[in-house]
Amino acid sequence: MTTLQIAVIGVLGLIGIGLYGLLIARNLIKVIVALQVLVKGALLALVAAGLASGKLNLGQSLAVMVIVVDTVVAVIGLALALQVKRRMGTLDIKDLSTLKK
Amino acid sequence: MSTEQFALDNVLLWLIGLPLVAAPLVYFAGRLFNLGRWAALGVIGLTWIPFVIAAQQVGTGSISLVVEGMTLRMDGISLVLAAIALSLGTLVVVYSNRYVAHEENEDKYYPMLVALIGVITGLGCATDLFNLWVWFEAMAISSYLLVAFYRDQPASLEAGLKYLVQSAVGSVLVLLGMALVLALTGTMNLAEIRAVAGQPATPGLPLLAAGALFVIGFGVKAALVPMHTWLPDAHSQAPSGISAMLSGVVIEAGLIALLRAVASLAGVTLSWGVLLMGFGALNMLAGNLLALRQKHVKRMLAFSSLSHMGYMLLGLGIAVYVGQSAAAAGSFFHLINHGLMKGLAFLAAGALLYVLFIKTGDHHSPLTISDLGGAARKYPIVALTLSIAALGLGGLPPFAGFMSKWQIFVAGFETQNIVIDLLVIFAALNSVLSLAYYAPIVNAVYRQEPSEAVTRGQALSWTMSLPLILLAVAIVILGLWPSLLAWLTGPAGTALVKAFGG
Amino acid sequence: MIQALILLTMGLPWLGGLAVWLTTNKHPRAQHTLAVVFAVATGSAALLLLPYASATPAIVIPLGGLFGDLTFTPDGLSVFLAIIATVVGSLAVIFSVNYMHGDKQLGRYYELVLLFIGAMAGLALTGSLLFLFVFWEVTAFCSFALIAFNNDDPKAVAGGIKALIITSLGGVGLLSGALIIYAQTGSYQIAAFLERAETLPKEVLALVAFGFLIAAAAKSAQFPFQTWLPDAMEAPTPVSALIHAATMVNAGVYLLARFFPAFEGVAGWTTAVMIVGLLSALLAGLMALVATDLKRALAYSTVSQLGYMVYAIGAGGVYASQFHLLSHAVFKALLFLAAGAVIHGVGTRDMRQMGGLGSRMPFTRTVFVIGALALAGIPIFNGFWSKELILEAGLHEGSLWAYGVAFFCAGLTALYTLRMVYLVFFGKPRSHLHAHDAQPAMKVSLGLLALGSVTTWLLAGPLSELLKSTLPFHEFHELRTGGMIQEVITQPATLAALAVIVAGGLLWWQRQRLTGLTRMLQGLARMATNSFGFEAINRGVIRVTQSTAEALRVTQTGLLSWNVAGIAIGLIVVLILLAWGK
Repeated sequence: MTTLQIAVIGVLGLIGIGLYGLLIARNLIKVIVALQVLVKGALLALVAAGLASGKLNLGQSLAVMVIVVDTVVAVIGLALALQVKRRMGTLDIKDLSTLKK
Repeated sequence: MSTEQFALDNVLLWLIGLPLVAAPLVYFAGRLFNLGRWAALGVIGLTWIPFVIAAQQVGTGSISLVVEGMTLRMDGISLVLAAIALSLGTLVVVYSNRYVAHEENEDKYYPMLVALIGVITGLGCATDLFNLWVWFEAMAISSYLLVAFYRDQPASLEAGLKYLVQSAVGSVLVLLGMALVLALTGTMNLAEIRAVAGQPATPGLPLLAAGALFVIGFGVKAALVPMHTWLPDAHSQAPSGISAMLSGVVIEAGLIALLRAVASLAGVTLSWGVLLMGFGALNMLAGNLLALRQKHVKRMLAFSSLSHMGYMLLGLGIAVYVGQSAAAAGSFFHLINHGLMKGLAFLAAGALLYVLFIKTGDHHSPLTISDLGGAARKYPIVALTLSIAALGLGGLPPFAGFMSKWQIFVAGFETQNIVIDLLVIFAALNSVLSLAYYAPIVNAVYRQEPSEAVTRGQALSWTMSLPLILLAVAIVILGLWPSLLAWLTGPAGTALVKAFGG
Repeated sequence: MIQALILLTMGLPWLGGLAVWLTTNKHPRAQHTLAVVFAVATGSAALLLLPYASATPAIVIPLGGLFGDLTFTPDGLSVFLAIIATVVGSLAVIFSVNYMHGDKQLGRYYELVLLFIGAMAGLALTGSLLFLFVFWEVTAFCSFALIAFNNDDPKAVAGGIKALIITSLGGVGLLSGALIIYAQTGSYQIAAFLERAETLPKEVLALVAFGFLIAAAAKSAQFPFQTWLPDAMEAPTPVSALIHAATMVNAGVYLLARFFPAFEGVAGWTTAVMIVGLLSALLAGLMALVATDLKRALAYSTVSQLGYMVYAIGAGGVYASQFHLLSHAVFKALLFLAAGAVIHGVGTRDMRQMGGLGSRMPFTRTVFVIGALALAGIPIFNGFWSKELILEAGLHEGSLWAYGVAFFCAGLTALYTLRMVYLVFFGKPRSHLHAHDAQPAMKVSLGLLALGSVTTWLLAGPLSELLKSTLPFHEFHELRTGGMIQEVITQPATLAALAVIVAGGLLWWQRQRLTGLTRMLQGLARMATNSFGFEAINRGVIRVTQSTAEALRVTQTGLLSWNVAGIAIGLIVVLILLAWGK
């Protein structure tokens, strides 16, 4: 098995786990963790793509940038989750479904 | 190419850089001296100078800025986006003067808004897929906090979180698409991708998948059905100025990011145009039906954004499918008009929300249709401008929305393709359907008996009425003289068709 | 000069609207005065257009891009319709001075009425299809806003929205037709299209022709779109007289007349037009016979009379249709305004509560009876001459069955008109209603219209001359007023028509003796009361749309998991579609 193949399997695995988590998780923190898993899959994909196209440097530099940007998103997400917990005393996304229809 | 270098006399640098650099200053001005609103107004006012110069330089071509090997290029499409972001941004800053005054997060509101304008301008100018993604994420980040502005409101937090999670999923899909493109073409530059992707030697199917990932990933932000579910929540819970920005600029920026990314894969398949038209039809119908039974004004307006996105998609799809720039120009015209009309609608509805509820300390109550009752007597300007916005959105002449829809429709019929003709008729029927929820707004504001909320309503400040009047006047003028913006929409249409290789 | 007059005809009412707006509701007297002054000035400007009528565009403003040229062509048909709109408009405004006295939202009323008058003049005068559509929709908007003028009444709001939706729905036909024409000829100019119509592919021309027929039927409240007009009667009565009797509803007839030379040759088109007209005339006539609301009865009769005009166009009698349009605009505006005076006087629209009002409002009774005689087609009154011309055109050009139906409808008209007059003004009072006669400003409008109902037929010759000399694509026979009189009087068909009208009248006098017949027709009456099921169809469409919309709301679950699932589903579907399309 080549490195690339392993990487592809890793990507698919991470994406699968992330999506699964997003679809079934009810706890807000778990949702954000699942989102992070999804992003890690994308990171691995970028590095793997760099490897496949022979431009590993490009792939890696993109990945570093993505990590930076995505940390900000994760921080905001967690900050909002914190506020939710503080104001509503719950982290269950079922309780976060007042806006519908 | 030698002229495209980093230099302080490059107008693009100022156009994009000024708001971005000034945003922290606006924050400090607000934090330390409570002058955030004026600082923001000053910065945006100054940004108009490079914009006007850039608009003249772009003409029918483009101007570029190279920073450390990263190229930003402003063409007709970027100019349209910058124009609407800047126009609406200016008015929203004026409008928000009172709206967010004394709110807990006021000091963070203005810098975020200023940064949002700079970021959107930058997004329009990206020439590199990764660069596009970074701008896109920056836009998302600056809007998350604006959506969840009322941090003590559970509904506001809920809307912000949903927006964040869905946007993030979309952005991951875009990253995956980028990885596929990188793996197969070895580059991130849009023009180079296009050159490689068109060659027969390049494997088509993975690139097709990458295109699908772009359509869906950016489509979350552009509110394509069925990825639209964040939109009604975010648009209705955000402060009204931000609702206007989201609906009038941010989702359109998502659409333009989508177009830029997909255009680089134009050579892979001919079906992009069909796909866009399909989403257009779906968005129109779903948006109208979902809006039809809404009782909350801002939520109804949010759903109607879906259907307007549908009109733009239809025109763009026609343009991409037959390689005809008139339909794309019509869509960009509609993009601008929708920004003005929906911006006005949200601002006017927000003005009522503010004077009827927020000003009395009630942050919970939504503005319902029945609350609008009899608003005309007490708030004649808001009533008139809200009616103009609603009728314009419904596509009635002599307002701007009619003319841009007409342009899309004519361009569609000019193709003499029977399926496109039928789609256009479908779009026209959808406009009629939309009247069924726009018209009651007009009926409600002109009732004689004021609703309970209106009786208790507070006075309206001129900083809120002024943007409403300006937008209403613009809508009427554009409706009477539609070719006034042809200098802006024409080159944008041509640029789009060129990007797709027509 | 001509340019200035055209601009005045359209611009004056809009300026007037602006002036009324600036005056604000604090000064109702000034608002009344301004409205009357601007409306009358508009009417005068339109009348002055007459000597300048010509087939060449007087104003051409290039708009660039796909918007073509904005042109105004003051040809006979245009000037004719513009005059009707502005003159009846000014009379309706004069009438409103009394009728709308004391209304709290007077400003909005006059603004909308004046906006309508200007838009209607624009619709008549423009030579560009794009702007024909623009004015078409603006008049639809005014109609909506004025029907729902009393926004606090849910019935008025529903009626307004219904009118807006149905006419806009028909408008899609006009839109498609206009778009097809532009795609084929590269121009929005009506004259250019009429000139080149024969060179267009047959199927394409047929699409345009039927698209325009749908638009015309929706605007003129013809079968199967007639349901909006009766509900539009929630509007203030002068508005009903102006928009829903004398002008806007004529736009459909105008459209058909305007494009008749192009569509004449389209297979089946003239037959379809005749069927639409006759079905409207027949069904609405029957509904008028059983209506109990005075204004609704008049609305049904409007649908029926418009049906006559549409039928005339189908039979090739463009001139007859326009002549009847003139007569109808005058006598129906008279009837509506007189009905308005009655309603204003007694405070109800229900004819079952009226009766015997004639002695207490003699002036109103007299003018109403004049209008009614014209509507019934009694000689000397203008309705007689124009209806005879239509029947004659039908006898010469159309098929015999169609003529038979039209013939029958003439009797029907006499019957329901007589019933209406009797129920309101004669017999014994059926309830204790306070009544007062028309007020001064009302009397001015009513008197002038009554005079018109007796005299406008004298204009038959000049109208013919006007149309003949300025419409190069239409074919009109030379017709002088004297010639018309001779022609109509010597026709045996006229006697037959008169006989059926008299028969219709006799049927009403002998109604007690004909109980057997009445019982036989009870099923028909019940169907007519239920508007032959068209209301049910409307309600069905609304119900299906609304329940679909309501059902679709379930998709907005509010749950984050489902929202993400939406993204996943979207991705899978797009992937499959793209792979399949490859």
